[in-house]
Amino acid sequence: MSVPDEVVVQRILAGEAELFRILVRRYREEFARYAASLCGDADVAADAMQEAFIRAFDALDSCREPARFKAWFFRILTNQCHNARRGLGVRGRLDDIVVTAADRADAGVSDEELREAIDAALGQLTPEQREAFVLKHVDGRSYAEIADLLGVGEDALKMRVHRARDALKKLLEPWS
Amino acid sequence: MSEREGYSQEVQRFLDEEPDAQLTERARVDAERFREALARYASSLPVPGRELDAAVMSVVGARPLGGVRGLVRWLFRPRPVLLRPVLIAAGLVATTALGWWLGQQGGSPPVPGALIAEAPTVLVRFELRAPEAVQVALSGSFTGWDSEGVALSKNAQTGVWSVTVPLPLGEHEYSFVIDGQRWIPDPKAHAQVDDGFGQTNSVIVVGPRGVVRS
Repeated sequence: MSVPDEVVVQRILAGEAELFRILVRRYREEFARYAASLCGDADVAADAMQEAFIRAFDALDSCREPARFKAWFFRILTNQCHNARRGLGVRGRLDDIVVTAADRADAGVSDEELREAIDAALGQLTPEQREAFVLKHVDGRSYAEIADLLGVGEDALKMRVHRARDALKKLLEPWS
Repeated sequence: MSEREGYSQEVQRFLDEEPDAQLTERARVDAERFREALARYASSLPVPGRELDAAVMSVVGARPLGGVRGLVRWLFRPRPVLLRPVLIAAGLVATTALGWWLGQQGGSPPVPGALIAEAPTVLVRFELRAPEAVQVALSGSFTGWDSEGVALSKNAQTGVWSVTVPLPLGEHEYSFVIDGQRWIPDPKAHAQVDDGFGQTNSVIVVGPRGVVRS
């Protein structure tokens, strides 16, 4: 079992700044796919994660519940990813990708094509739907865990995920 | 959006992993196709690696910690703990006896025992004075001996590089890697061993209360 976040945060605030590396490694690994999916671009996601960690470090003494550092950092990361995605502009429009798919003669779809299509489809969801859907179906988390991270009730989360699934089903129809 | 355009309630419940979700064969195919596509998508996502850790630490490591943080700094400053093997043995015997006695009484284990069980890793600080080095990393049995290892941060005034890492209890071998090429043992280590390839590794023993040196 690893050292609890609460202990690490307290020791960083006490002067051992290098211990921040523990939190970076821990949550870089845990939220890497979430960031990549939310941003829709690997390089943008890496920049967003880096910026989120730096912001978290700078604001660490305002983390009122060090034991809940994970949820606190998750909020910073999510905001950073949404801002980064907005900065992407029109890249990865689904229409462009669907045309490419429709032109394909064979039935097989490469992982890269599938990723581009789902990234583009996710981009057409609302930010709240995208967060809930990615946490559920990309990270594979339970509704209880997502509710804890997002601070939203499980019923409301299910509604967001259901709507996101319906939207994706329609958007990805040409791929099925 | 109409029901026709989306998934049926049964498929939604199935994808929500509701235990009593019942599906027709057609609906099950749809649901499994959805799951398979998302699984492929998740596994194909390119994710940042350890280079991101180094990038973040190179920024935050240069930032000062002040204000309220400084007031309590000395309370949490890491201090080496020296424990003689004979004292450890005596402590283990006493703890075991107390645990057995409490078990006989139907009581709970003592608090120190519970504390150890919840935190089997210990934060250990490594330091190396190398004012001329451009980069220094810590590599050992706990990092898989890769040359990238864990990067140390430099104090520009003293030329001392340092890093604090969580280590599991037990004995570990390690070395410092200077500028990604030169492997050197820790000059402050109390024990060194030959690695069998003409190099020397340092040895550290981590106990539940800190670094153990005999």
